[in-house]
Amino acid sequence: MPPDYCRMVRDVRRARKLVARGTAAAGSGHPGGSFSMAEIVGVLLFGGLLRHDPGNPDWEERDRLVLSKGHAAPGLFASLAVAGYFDESEMDTLRSLGSRLQGHPDLRCPGVEFCGGSLGIGLSFSVGAALAARLDGAAHRVYAIIGDGETDEGQVWEAAMAAAKYGTDNLTAILDRNCIQQDSHTESVMPLDGPGPPGRGAADKWRAFGWNVIEADGHRVGQLHAALRAAAAHRGAPTVVIARTVKGRAVEHMEGNPKWHGKAPDPDVVPIIEAELDCQVAVAPSITAGGSPDLEGEARRCEEAGADLVHIDVMDGEFVPARTFGHERVARLRRATAVPFDVHLMIARPEKSALLYAEAGGDVVTVHAEACGEDTFGEIRDALRSARAGVGLAVSPGTELPEWAVRAAPSIDQVIVMSVVPGRSGQKYMEEAHGKTARIAARLRGAGFSGTIEADGGVGPENAGRCFADGARALACGSSVMGAPDARAAVGRIREAAAAERRRLLVREAGRLGGPALVEKWVGLHGGGCRAALEVMAAAEVA
Amino acid sequence: MGGAPAPLADMRTEYGNALEEVGAADPRVVVLGADTTDSLKTAGFGRRFPGRFFNVGIAEANMVSVAAGLAASGKTAFASTYATFVPGRAVDQIRNAVCYPTRGGKKGLNVKLVVSHGGLSVGADGGSHQQLEDIATMRAMPNMRVMIPADARAVAALTRAMAREYGPFYMRMARPKTPVVHGESQEFEAGRGIVVRDGSDCTIAACGTAVAAALEAARVLEGRDGVSCRVIDVFSVKPIDAAMLEKAAAETGAVATCEEHNVMGGMGSAVAEEISQRRPVPVVRVGVRDAFGESCRDPQIPQLLEKHGMSSVHIADAALRARRLAGR
Repeated sequence: MPPDYCRMVRDVRRARKLVARGTAAAGSGHPGGSFSMAEIVGVLLFGGLLRHDPGNPDWEERDRLVLSKGHAAPGLFASLAVAGYFDESEMDTLRSLGSRLQGHPDLRCPGVEFCGGSLGIGLSFSVGAALAARLDGAAHRVYAIIGDGETDEGQVWEAAMAAAKYGTDNLTAILDRNCIQQDSHTESVMPLDGPGPPGRGAADKWRAFGWNVIEADGHRVGQLHAALRAAAAHRGAPTVVIARTVKGRAVEHMEGNPKWHGKAPDPDVVPIIEAELDCQVAVAPSITAGGSPDLEGEARRCEEAGADLVHIDVMDGEFVPARTFGHERVARLRRATAVPFDVHLMIARPEKSALLYAEAGGDVVTVHAEACGEDTFGEIRDALRSARAGVGLAVSPGTELPEWAVRAAPSIDQVIVMSVVPGRSGQKYMEEAHGKTARIAARLRGAGFSGTIEADGGVGPENAGRCFADGARALACGSSVMGAPDARAAVGRIREAAAAERRRLLVREAGRLGGPALVEKWVGLHGGGCRAALEVMAAAEVA
Repeated sequence: MGGAPAPLADMRTEYGNALEEVGAADPRVVVLGADTTDSLKTAGFGRRFPGRFFNVGIAEANMVSVAAGLAASGKTAFASTYATFVPGRAVDQIRNAVCYPTRGGKKGLNVKLVVSHGGLSVGADGGSHQQLEDIATMRAMPNMRVMIPADARAVAALTRAMAREYGPFYMRMARPKTPVVHGESQEFEAGRGIVVRDGSDCTIAACGTAVAAALEAARVLEGRDGVSCRVIDVFSVKPIDAAMLEKAAAETGAVATCEEHNVMGGMGSAVAEEISQRRPVPVVRVGVRDAFGESCRDPQIPQLLEKHGMSSVHIADAALRARRLAGR
């Protein structure tokens, strides 16, 4: 089963919002580490990796999810709520007298397996749980999420030795490598990497302890999913997935800042944080834009560039004059990377083959409004849903988003607004697409749309900010990335352009919610160069 | 008890035998060790049931936590090493991984910490290894039950009881062979004390190896002072048999306690806590007075106890002092 990428991303975002809401209500708690592990927990709980049943938390055959870094309890609780273990409104009781949602995970909360809080214990506990499963001939797995600061505790390494001794290959540890602990950065408090190349030491240590080591970007659900599946398939030794993460991830003023290890946001900034969480941008380089026939190589180049998605244009020679490749080629390409596939079908009669592209590994499959009507789109949507793929609908430059698409908005994961004529590369962005994207965003806003608008065509660093301001949260980039000498740098510039717009939007949101006082407070939460930029924006807004 | 000395028996041997017995009867029983499995006599279980035996090396915190993980998955986990290390090195793990987790009616996890080398009678290994604070730390843990058996028979019976009864237990054994003070048919139940000698003028409450010393003290009181002394084996320090203690206080009017433990927080403290609020009578505690032990060779153990004011004569004198405080 492929992961339901779009749902996962949405659920993780929802969980992050609940963390902000819960910790703000409590006036304390640990958002930093909750945000750094949000995708880790999300992939497990929402990505079909963890066998579990929210309706029956004590199901014998469930996989065990042990949160050893127990201070990230808000993150666990929020994800359990989103998964359906209890109502999301219960997050408002976090850390309150009588609540099941204690300051640290407690068995009184359904779905909690281990009372974390005192660090260093959970991996040992997980070894015990894995040994018990083996004794019982049970097939379930044990997943232990440990913190990198936590590995200061010697007991972690006692457990590591024991797991290797007993070859508990039914145990996967996931190291939330956010490089920050309570006092400061891990490498200054107690170096985990130690001397040698940065980022290598932790992996070397675990290898030396007899573990199978897999490294992954801890915020990319595709990579994490692939890593965890590989871990489950490994035999003879336990696996640790070293997930490179950012403390406070997705909330800029918390990112990489030790101050937000154990400090809750104030309630008045929570709505701005929620808006910020809705403003995450995904960059989707188009694999064919570089003109190279080596698609595998191009996919890896996308990955190395830091792509959130790989945009794959499929053309059939009928809907558009050009022709690229079919679903068999996509299926082969799937092996080249774990980055999710954003498959854009520029084909006629998409109802005949959309499902094949989902089965070939498309995480979002987008069909054209010009190639289907309400009924056929309904069929396509149902087929994609059954394959747990995201459902996309694209409109070409000459087409407005049809009324039926607005009605179907709650079931659409992605709307592509094309800003070039489909089927021809090297075109410039059509300026009228800005206004059109903004119009579509406004129509969808009131229609229950929880998906993403993707700008596609001629998007690059120079107009990414404007596209973001229009309402696009995914940017399909062609030659601006794949034709650039340094694709990674190009992606970075595109992200920075979008981030600048995001900051402006959030300053505006702060002003709308609480006037100049809240703007000042919001700006004051930020540090460094970002703070200076925000101050300029705030001054402009006030003026 | 006549003049003939009570036969000696080894607690650890009985523990090991009883473990094999409960392991044969119940496949859920697993045993963990920390590089002391020969000494603790758990190695026999390991030879008989290798799949259910885990020697985690010299890593007590890990041992206790792995036991918790096994217990959380339905196992009855016995974890054993020396008392100076468990609870000594693993108090946090015992608290947070064993005692704290509670779901439904199940309070704590099903982990049995059975340790050896409690008290001064460890002898030659010295103060570092003479565990004198464990009763205090373990009885302060919610959901933990604390057993300090007096002889090998009690050890065997309590091992079987722990395998039957859900929840965290701590049981401390002595290193040397100890006198058998209980009859073959004696039953042991958590929360129930045992009157090992009846008497009417005073009571000595004792646990562990101090029960034999208390019996000797009662003989001293009878022969030297003409005082009739009741002796209670408070092997179940928690839950404690408050009713039996209240009755003894009411009927004898004066209480002494003795234990191989710091007088702060041990069995004597537990007895005093109960008596002070149920039937206040003087309670005089005999134990190590807030100090550490030191090395001695086996024949010198009585001298070490003497040095710490814990000989049977000291115990007898404590009982007399309790009587004097009561105005008798």
